[in-house]
Amino acid sequence: MAARGHVQDPNDRRLRPIYDYLDNGNNKMAIQQADKLLKKHKDLHCAKVLKAIGLQRTGKQDEAFSLAQEVATLEPTDDNSLQALTILYREMHHPELVTKLYEAAVKKVPLSEEYHSHLFMAYARVGEYKKMQQAGMALYKIVPKNPYYFWSVMSLVMQAISAQDEKLAQTMFLPLAERMVEKMVKEEKIEAEAEVQLYFMILERLGKCVEALDVVRGPLGEKLTSELRSRENKCMMMYQRLQLWPECNALSYKLLLKNPDDWQFYLSYFDSLFHLMDKSWSQPEEGEHCVEGPVQTTVTEAVKFVVDRMEEQDKKESRPLRGPYLACLELIHRLRQRGCPDEKELGDPLELMVQFFGKFGDKPCCITDLKIYLHLLPPEQRSQFKKRLGELVPLGEAGEDGFGFPGDTKALQRHLCVCQLSRALGLQHALDTEGKLRLITELKAHYHHGLQFGKSCLKTELQFSDMYCLMAAHVYVDLWTETGDENMLWQCLGVLEEGLSFSPSNAQFKLLLLLLFCRLGAFQPVVDLYSSLDAKHVQHDTIGYLLTRYAGSLGQFAAASQSCNFSLRFFHSNQKDTSEYIIQAYKYGAFEKIPEFIAFRTRLNQSLHFAQVRTERMLLDLYTEADVTLSLEESVKAMGVCPEEDDIPWDNMRDNRDLTVLVSWDPKDRELTEEHRRLSLEEESVWLKVRSLTLRLLASLALLGHAPSPRNSDKTNENGISAKSSTLQTLLSQLDQTLETAAQITEKQTQYPFLGPPSSRLASALSSGSCHCQASLQVSSRGITSGSFLFPHADLCPSLPSSLSPLRPEMLSRCKGEVLEMKDGRLTTRPSLLETLVFFVETVCVVLWVASYSASVLRPLKSSLQKKKKKKKDSSSAMPVVLCGFQEWTGSLQGVVTQALDHVKGQEASLTALKLAALTLEEGYSQTQEECGFTRAAMDKVQSSYLGSLQELGDLLRKRADSLKSLKI
Amino acid sequence: MTTLRAFTCDDLFKFNNIQAVLNFLLQYGIPFYLQYLAHWPEYFIVAEAPGGELMGYIMGKAEGSVAREEWHGHVTALSVAPEFRRLGLAAKLMEMLEEISERKGGFFVDLFVRVSNQVAVNMYKQLGYSVYRTVIEYYSASNGEPDEDAYDMRKALSSDTEKKSIVPIPHPVRPEDIE
Repeated sequence: MAARGHVQDPNDRRLRPIYDYLDNGNNKMAIQQADKLLKKHKDLHCAKVLKAIGLQRTGKQDEAFSLAQEVATLEPTDDNSLQALTILYREMHHPELVTKLYEAAVKKVPLSEEYHSHLFMAYARVGEYKKMQQAGMALYKIVPKNPYYFWSVMSLVMQAISAQDEKLAQTMFLPLAERMVEKMVKEEKIEAEAEVQLYFMILERLGKCVEALDVVRGPLGEKLTSELRSRENKCMMMYQRLQLWPECNALSYKLLLKNPDDWQFYLSYFDSLFHLMDKSWSQPEEGEHCVEGPVQTTVTEAVKFVVDRMEEQDKKESRPLRGPYLACLELIHRLRQRGCPDEKELGDPLELMVQFFGKFGDKPCCITDLKIYLHLLPPEQRSQFKKRLGELVPLGEAGEDGFGFPGDTKALQRHLCVCQLSRALGLQHALDTEGKLRLITELKAHYHHGLQFGKSCLKTELQFSDMYCLMAAHVYVDLWTETGDENMLWQCLGVLEEGLSFSPSNAQFKLLLLLLFCRLGAFQPVVDLYSSLDAKHVQHDTIGYLLTRYAGSLGQFAAASQSCNFSLRFFHSNQKDTSEYIIQAYKYGAFEKIPEFIAFRTRLNQSLHFAQVRTERMLLDLYTEADVTLSLEESVKAMGVCPEEDDIPWDNMRDNRDLTVLVSWDPKDRELTEEHRRLSLEEESVWLKVRSLTLRLLASLALLGHAPSPRNSDKTNENGISAKSSTLQTLLSQLDQTLETAAQITEKQTQYPFLGPPSSRLASALSSGSCHCQASLQVSSRGITSGSFLFPHADLCPSLPSSLSPLRPEMLSRCKGEVLEMKDGRLTTRPSLLETLVFFVETVCVVLWVASYSASVLRPLKSSLQKKKKKKKDSSSAMPVVLCGFQEWTGSLQGVVTQALDHVKGQEASLTALKLAALTLEEGYSQTQEECGFTRAAMDKVQSSYLGSLQELGDLLRKRADSLKSLKI
Repeated sequence: MTTLRAFTCDDLFKFNNIQAVLNFLLQYGIPFYLQYLAHWPEYFIVAEAPGGELMGYIMGKAEGSVAREEWHGHVTALSVAPEFRRLGLAAKLMEMLEEISERKGGFFVDLFVRVSNQVAVNMYKQLGYSVYRTVIEYYSASNGEPDEDAYDMRKALSSDTEKKSIVPIPHPVRPEDIE
């Protein structure tokens, strides 16, 4: 036996080729090879599992699964089979089965360190914390290694974190964890840094900050060496929680002396200082000095400290650090907040900011730094400030146009910074239309002039003057929103397209173009723009909304599906990705990272955008792809929608959208506020609720259709139906409520900053009438069901046919009008018409599902009636009313859909007839011939995108018109 | 004017606020970041501006055999957003990584850089790094660009008193020959 390790197991040799095939992605050969092997060696279980892996990877899940279960029931204990099964189960998204596997294995081989450790990891993968705790201890008993013991401790912490009941965490799990660590401390068995970190984590979560401090400062704390400033950071955290302001102050002071650029410590220094002042804290007479060193308690000391730091930088030969200068502005800001007159000792904010500009004006971050403190300038000083800065910008002689230009990139950056600051001060917004147009001319001139500095730039690099171009675009947007002059928008598109041609990787150009095209209702150009942004993983969550908000609502259904898929793929991979690294964190003792990874996974799972794309994707499927004539039930089953279950975490929804991804230099009063964020989330959530209820209502139709057949006894019939129709009823009343809330929200007419979040579809959905139409439609579907099943012989409510025709012609009439028009030499757009048309078409799709469902209910009714008729010859039956009603209804639907199709055809024709080339763009004043070319290109894109949308809408309508024809009963 | 702190998963959500290339910080897949966070959290440091914008980050690891005096710190990624360049931030982050490696008793710090990336090569030289060897076709082709060689650059730490670890190897090596 001892020699066994040296001799290669013959099975390993036999299995090798299969492993190789699988590794190379040659699954078919792997399956063949496994079959061959199994013919000779029937009991080579691992070959079966490897075959199952091959099957799984070629899409034969069911076959793979049953093969795997054959082996699993034998409770294998050979390493090969176990590992192969682990891989297979993970690929099948059944990590819970791995735990069963190793539970069986450790029973058979109770002393195996390896299998016990696999079992622990298997539990970790599915988050079975209690079992992990036990598995960790079992391991430690077999092999008394510290890490195993602390795995068990960490599992207790995880039980505390995941406990619904915080009391249980505080009185049971955490104290137990604490005692377990204390035991090791007493026995002097603590070995690793990770163990001390875990101890600290436990004490911190227990709120035992004093004890935590003792650990960090004591001998155990000496183990905290990996992370820089680990002990200091932990002490600081505890000082703040314990409100030990003297220590906090002294430590911040000490750390700032070491690194006078570390911003976080200026903040804690100022915070603690003012806390101490508020408490009129005074230095204890003797003896008891603060453990962290000298404490500063007066404004005078703070002022001196900051001034000293600045002087230190001034004297330096090397590059000065920004920290001290900005700390000075921060201190003024705080003193002013407190109404403290001492701020004067630090100097005049205007002078200080001018000095800062003098030192750092040629750095691109100068605007980001100073923007935070512009409020320190009184309004009457703003122009003066701009003038003073201007004096520090070396520009050449002014030319004919009155503009002087910078001679190098440093001067350019300074000039650009002044422009950015003057925008942030509101000086640009205060200009009248003439002034703004002149400003645009100036910005464009600087943009074009600056291009000479970047002639040798790579395609992946930005032009030095790009931001002028972006700012010109912002001023165009200002003009457009203020005056409604759409020419400004066209010119804006032109200038951005031009910018992009010189700087093809500028993300800000792309983002703004994307936003503008969306606002114009032109989605086609957006697809390419977004994909050239090359958004990666988390970005599908943070900026995916830019794409998914508009794709479907503008009738680009194929693109909409695709963009939902991009995001969904990312969200689905998240689950698997994170589990692996949670396990690694246990292995490497990165205990602090484990709750962090789990929080990260939860944040993605609870993402608003995730819920949105999930819902929209399914609605899109039902609207556009699913075959109405086939059963709704199948489609719903395939999507896994369950009408009773709401899988959206309404109370814990995370808004991960990055709403400031578009650069803005707007003044503070025009920036996105927290209130905007709250309102936008509220609005999006309500809209999501409308959508998810629509989806679930459609799904509940499928359930109704699945009702027990009318042949059963009347009694069961009634019960069956009432349970299901009560789901429908609940959903309907929820929809009613939601629509009420929706109406209240849209009444507010919240306007977000232009570069902030787009409004949701809520307002346009309500005004299009589609929501209420869909709601009342669902009511009718309920009428049909209850009518036909519960009272098959009774006279049906005579109003049914009329309630069945909610698709009123006025919905269509709201879509009438030209989406793109050329009038008096100007091009005007009405994208809202397109959105309304989309709502109309979506409604048609819902109507079709209801109709298809109704037909499926009425069909058997009709045939049974006919049978009865033959038997009884009873001519007084009232049933034909509902049947006629249905036929009448589908007939009128047909009429509306035909009208809609005519409308779309007409729009297409007039759009195609529109010859944009005939449009004369005003050259000279603000646009050169070249720029006009870019504007024209943008116009063409919009036109062809509208056409594309209309074509997709037309196709879908035609498809639905066809399905309508097949709905005869 | 920078807050230097440990990188956390939540930082992944803040990686957009960048003027130039949208994903300049997100070069890698999430698993890659999580792997580093799970294994070498101390080596993953982020720099944040006072307004909360992410300025840049450094990500590294410790590896190599202690017995063979090859135990060292490695710079896997160093990235500074364009708007925060020329502030000395990269140097500061490198200094921190070197200090962490010092504490671990590493003999040197090394990194790979594209031969064509002259700006970066010069910066590392200024920070005390020298070319130890050339690795042939270390960077595989992408976007129509051909394969590219890398410089393996090193800087000795105090454990390597005789600076043995940075004596250049004259002949270029292939990627499969490096450890």
